[in-house]
Amino acid sequence: MSRMFSCPRPDTGISVTRRESLFGIGASLGSIALSALLSEESSAMAPGRPSGHLGPHLTPRAKNCIFLTMEGGPSHIDTFDPKPELEKLHLKEFIRQGKEKSAMESGKRYYVRSPFKFHQWGQSGAWMSEPWVHLREMADELCFYRGCQVDSVNHPTAMYQLNTGNRFGGDPGLGAWINYGLGTVNRDLPGFVVLPEVSYPQGGAANWSNGYLPASYQGTPLRPKGSPILDLAPPKDFTRDRQRRNLDLLASLNARHQAAHPWHGELEARLQSYELAFRMQSTVPGLLDLGGESPRTLSSYGVGLEPTDSFGRKCLLARRLVERGVRFVQLYAGSWDSHDYIERAHGNLIRQVDRPIAALLADLKQRGMLEDTLVVWCGEFGRTPDNGVRGGTAYGRDHNPKAMTIWFAGGGVRAGHTLGATDETGTVAVEEVRHIRDLHITLLKLLGLDDNRLTFYHGGRFKQLSQFGGQAIEALIA
Amino acid sequence: MTVVGGGGASATLGAPVGEAEVLFARRVWPLLQEKCTACHGEDEAKRKGGLDLGTWKKVQQGGESGLPGVVPGKAESSPLYLSVTRAHEDWEAMPPKENDRLEAEQIGWIKAWIEGGAPWLEETQRNLVRSASGGSEQEGETVVTSGGLSGDWTYRRYKSEDLWAYRPVASPIRGAPGNKHPIDAFLEAPPSGASSLSAPPADKRTLLRRITFDLTGLPPTPEEMKDFFNDPRPDPEAWNAVIERLLASPRYGEHWARHWLDVVRYADTSGFANDFERGNAWRYRDWVVRAFNADMPYDRFVRLQIAGDEISPGDPEAIIATGFLRMGPWELTGMEVAKIARQRFLDDVTNSVGETFLGHSLQCARCHDHKFDPVPTRDYYSIQAVFATTQIADRRTPFAASENVNGFEERQYLLIRQQAYESELLRLNDQSIAAGRAWLKENHFDPAPFDRALKAVTAGKGSGNKGSYEQARVKMLKEGVPEKEIPPKLAGFSPQDFGGERVARKGLERLQWELERYEPFALAVYDGLTPQMTGVFRPLRIPEDRMKSGEREQTAILAGGDPFAPTVPVRPGGLTAIETFNPEVKTDFPQSETGRRRALAEWIAHPKNPLTSRVIANRIWAWHFGQPLAGNPNNFGSTGKKPTHPELLDWLAGTMVAAGWSMKTMHRLILSSQAYQRAAPGSDLDDSGEAEALMAAYRAFRPRRLTAEELRDAMLQATGELNPEIGGIPNRPEINPEAAFQPRQVMGTFAAAWVPNPLPSQRHRRSLYGLRVRGLADPFLEVFNEPAPDFSCERREVSTITPQVFALFNGLPIHQRALALAARSIRESGEDSSVLRRVFDLALGRPPTPVELESCLAHWHSLIPELPRVSEGSPMPTEIIREAVEENTGEKFTFREILPSNQDFVPDLQADQVDARTRALADICLILFNSNEFAYLY
Repeated sequence: MSRMFSCPRPDTGISVTRRESLFGIGASLGSIALSALLSEESSAMAPGRPSGHLGPHLTPRAKNCIFLTMEGGPSHIDTFDPKPELEKLHLKEFIRQGKEKSAMESGKRYYVRSPFKFHQWGQSGAWMSEPWVHLREMADELCFYRGCQVDSVNHPTAMYQLNTGNRFGGDPGLGAWINYGLGTVNRDLPGFVVLPEVSYPQGGAANWSNGYLPASYQGTPLRPKGSPILDLAPPKDFTRDRQRRNLDLLASLNARHQAAHPWHGELEARLQSYELAFRMQSTVPGLLDLGGESPRTLSSYGVGLEPTDSFGRKCLLARRLVERGVRFVQLYAGSWDSHDYIERAHGNLIRQVDRPIAALLADLKQRGMLEDTLVVWCGEFGRTPDNGVRGGTAYGRDHNPKAMTIWFAGGGVRAGHTLGATDETGTVAVEEVRHIRDLHITLLKLLGLDDNRLTFYHGGRFKQLSQFGGQAIEALIA
Repeated sequence: MTVVGGGGASATLGAPVGEAEVLFARRVWPLLQEKCTACHGEDEAKRKGGLDLGTWKKVQQGGESGLPGVVPGKAESSPLYLSVTRAHEDWEAMPPKENDRLEAEQIGWIKAWIEGGAPWLEETQRNLVRSASGGSEQEGETVVTSGGLSGDWTYRRYKSEDLWAYRPVASPIRGAPGNKHPIDAFLEAPPSGASSLSAPPADKRTLLRRITFDLTGLPPTPEEMKDFFNDPRPDPEAWNAVIERLLASPRYGEHWARHWLDVVRYADTSGFANDFERGNAWRYRDWVVRAFNADMPYDRFVRLQIAGDEISPGDPEAIIATGFLRMGPWELTGMEVAKIARQRFLDDVTNSVGETFLGHSLQCARCHDHKFDPVPTRDYYSIQAVFATTQIADRRTPFAASENVNGFEERQYLLIRQQAYESELLRLNDQSIAAGRAWLKENHFDPAPFDRALKAVTAGKGSGNKGSYEQARVKMLKEGVPEKEIPPKLAGFSPQDFGGERVARKGLERLQWELERYEPFALAVYDGLTPQMTGVFRPLRIPEDRMKSGEREQTAILAGGDPFAPTVPVRPGGLTAIETFNPEVKTDFPQSETGRRRALAEWIAHPKNPLTSRVIANRIWAWHFGQPLAGNPNNFGSTGKKPTHPELLDWLAGTMVAAGWSMKTMHRLILSSQAYQRAAPGSDLDDSGEAEALMAAYRAFRPRRLTAEELRDAMLQATGELNPEIGGIPNRPEINPEAAFQPRQVMGTFAAAWVPNPLPSQRHRRSLYGLRVRGLADPFLEVFNEPAPDFSCERREVSTITPQVFALFNGLPIHQRALALAARSIRESGEDSSVLRRVFDLALGRPPTPVELESCLAHWHSLIPELPRVSEGSPMPTEIIREAVEENTGEKFTFREILPSNQDFVPDLQADQVDARTRALADICLILFNSNEFAYLY
């Protein structure tokens, strides 16, 4: 119905139905009133089954994805990719060749070693730097990948590329694509939920945009402070009863108008969206209330403890969301943009996320959910082995789009392996080197989607997450 | 010369060439090149499945399956054919990408070629066959262009109907049969199968509401409604009077500028990592408003935006107009390679010119010849060469008398912030000096060199040198003091200080851009050499030696679009396919630094350029009717939708050129047609499909939801709060307070909070004038589909999602409007039912029905006694404490952000200032603002 006003496109076999337009962030929480609206098209779908649109095209290895976004560019050299060579080169001058020089190279630059010691953990002997004291217990669940490269050396463009495939923003986010492809399992919740930091990442909400996909695929940020969704609650002297009565009067006024335009389905959809919104006012706060979790669970995630409280809550909430069928949950932690004092900055950041992430993996595993859930840990790029040394000690690292470490856990990945490699200084990926688009294709594949078939016609061409197509990184897939 | 046949048979070209040979040369071979050989070609590294389709021998060898790729004579046994059908169990669908899937016709060529014996021709033979015969209609047409990267592209054939946009515009000759309006005459022939029924003319109220929103983006006032109903003149005259009144209203230019600004991606900030403010972008926005209001001929409108500075270098308006070229997001951070950033600008401006004026997104041709349209990559770089001497700068441009320079005194608030940042840096500097001395003492180093250095760097600068500590360190280093004896950088910094220093330092940097608002500079361009840059942290100016210093760019075709991989040099020019169909358009493009853009402007605005006039005629039509004639206003290429009424589109385009490119003439024509004045599908129709068919055929009017801006502006007009001031520096209305204070990371720091203007009249400007920050959309406008300025928006989307309900039913700004409407209605009328009549009149432009009146009265009265007492609203905070993770330490830190203008903040009417009767009535107003009748335009 809303199709008649949206951008025209050739028949792709997908119409923007009323159902989609209601399921924006506008997911219904409690679908009683909705059932009537959906009845005409729900016959084909058994309750609880995904209302899929395009896929799955392949056998899914995971049903959900939890994406741990380490914004700012975590250093692979100080987390999961040890570079003993840097011990030898420490404070020796670093000279970059080539014409692609940027201002980053102004002044003298020096190699700097990692301030952290590295050890191997688990049967698999996964390398981790010392500040990771909890994650190492889960070492054999992880699949490390050191071959990924991106195009952009600036945060927002690299974030856009990580999240949407397109450096310049405006395209749909990963979670939008996945929900577009697989539909939602839980009609009462949005399929793409974002748990941002109090301060939004560079590039802002465009990182979880629906882009040219229907607005219903937009990521729903649940804000960690204040109202989780903007304007979720009415002004404070509006009781629920007063709102209900206002809604009833609105409905009666709308009824007269609607009678004059019975063909105009958008009017009914709009009416229903008011009812959904009214219900969400009570159900969303309930979802966010962690009171029902056991004290043991809470403390395992580090909830209520510093410095883990903030990310611990997000990780626990991520599990609760995935449990309820949310397809794609994206968590933000940062900023890992440590140009100076990497020891202090990265050390603190690792301590903030280490325990919550380990708890999340353990919790998922214990509940039998890990095999259906793909967990990804990733920044928008890695960091350089060199730095303009600040005051002799305050060194950090700059942006490096040519080398980074990403790890995966859960559904369908080769746990206990480290794939790809960077050169001996961590400057550039040299083994199993792939563009990030191949990473996107791999993620889709694990979730049962074929990037080449997960397309949307916009602006004169079929668009896809990878932009131009590519190849899955088969080595990562079990 | 022989043709090697598939079955090994051979033939000479002298003999009659078979259909299969022609098919191969013209169709199959180019198709293989376009769709297959990237993965199945010579390049072994890229080859997939071991299959090479480059030579007949390799085709016969086949791929990993071991079967030959083609079995001559037997399509159904040929893997090549089976794969492209995408329907065979054993053979994977090819090409893999949905984008590349073959059309039925193309699959048919492959089939016919195989069935015809699969003859294979080498290059010279292929070229001979291709050029030998003219080809039939079905085989399509070749188009002469500047030439593709391969002969196969150059000689490829296009379906005739895909070239419609390049052909000359048919001259507007249609005589009107009888007294029919020409537009109605063109629309008369119903598309086959459609009903020939038409909706009746809409009623007067609907019509006035429709045209008033259409031309001004606002609802008619109750007085205007009354005047229209009471106009004694017969219908066409009264209607024409309305058209003239609205076209003469300055509100017209504001609303139609909004359309244009959607297309050009207008924003007041530069996007990406820094999202720096473009302090004077507003002057371009206002220039567009003035251009529409003055009915500037469209060809001039085009010329000035592309080359105003070259055409009228002395005219400030012409300089301001070139702001168009700067609309894309752009920055150069210290991290990025300057040449890449420069190339981003060039690519952006090339594509934008194509999309905006020519209905051609050109970016496809950046890396390769266009896959579907006759746009060779050479043409892309020819257009780009036009901009090779175009440099960005904010140019000194005096304010014209026509510009609104009110409100510059708000600058004082920025200066207070500037002062606060300065003091913070000074404090930190003093702290570091003390800490540095302590460090020297602790480590038993001689303090004298430090003291000497400090004294030297502060000499003559008083105590106000906020960087003296760091300067002293650098001086010591230069003087050869061993590094280990120099006190450390940022000595004595706590995590708090690291954050504070960064926020202050970057805050000063950001203020430089914001202070630009009040200065006589224009977001513009100049001609010159490309200056060397390492980062842009303050507004750019024209360098004095613009023609001497820097790189003289020689544009070349860039392999893969990579600025470090130039191949063949190109000269400035336009789209050569256009010149093939319309030789008059050909223009001389100079090679000198200056004049290239002027030439392009002439080329685009040429009356015979068929894209330019069709594109704007189509846009105007779409903005009036909510549906374009050619379905994709930004894409007139073969992948865009074909015009539903091609003759009408040509008639409109031709008429517009003949009328001196007058926009207002076009409005008059369209608005006076019957099609425009028809009712929407009515109550007798409940089949949405049937309604859709009627609307698509212009037999019933297509209703639409109001845009985000229209919703807001209509409420402000209903409450009487709308400030009609035109133009000027962007204003800042109150937005959702949590969004206003939402911390937002920008490069190295946090963007300042959204602080509303202090005075209600400043806040209640039309939505067009709100500061548009790329990184922070007004959540209200955003949920109602205000387009993000990342992409050109050819047409507003409409979606129905629950966040709209939260914004429109719960949000602060709406409750303020509801209260203001209640207060106004009570002020302007007497007893309760007359108050309600006034509410309906102001909000919906009609009186309530008796039933509505009764239910609203009952609701109102029931609410009054139960409303809780309202306490005084809390004043706007004059500072906020921000919490963030500091990147130097990875630790949380907080900082205080001052909001100086909030000291002078005058709130809108507050609930505690009115009685319960008014507050209860505000609920009725809220409900009306949320009603479908308010939100939809019929």
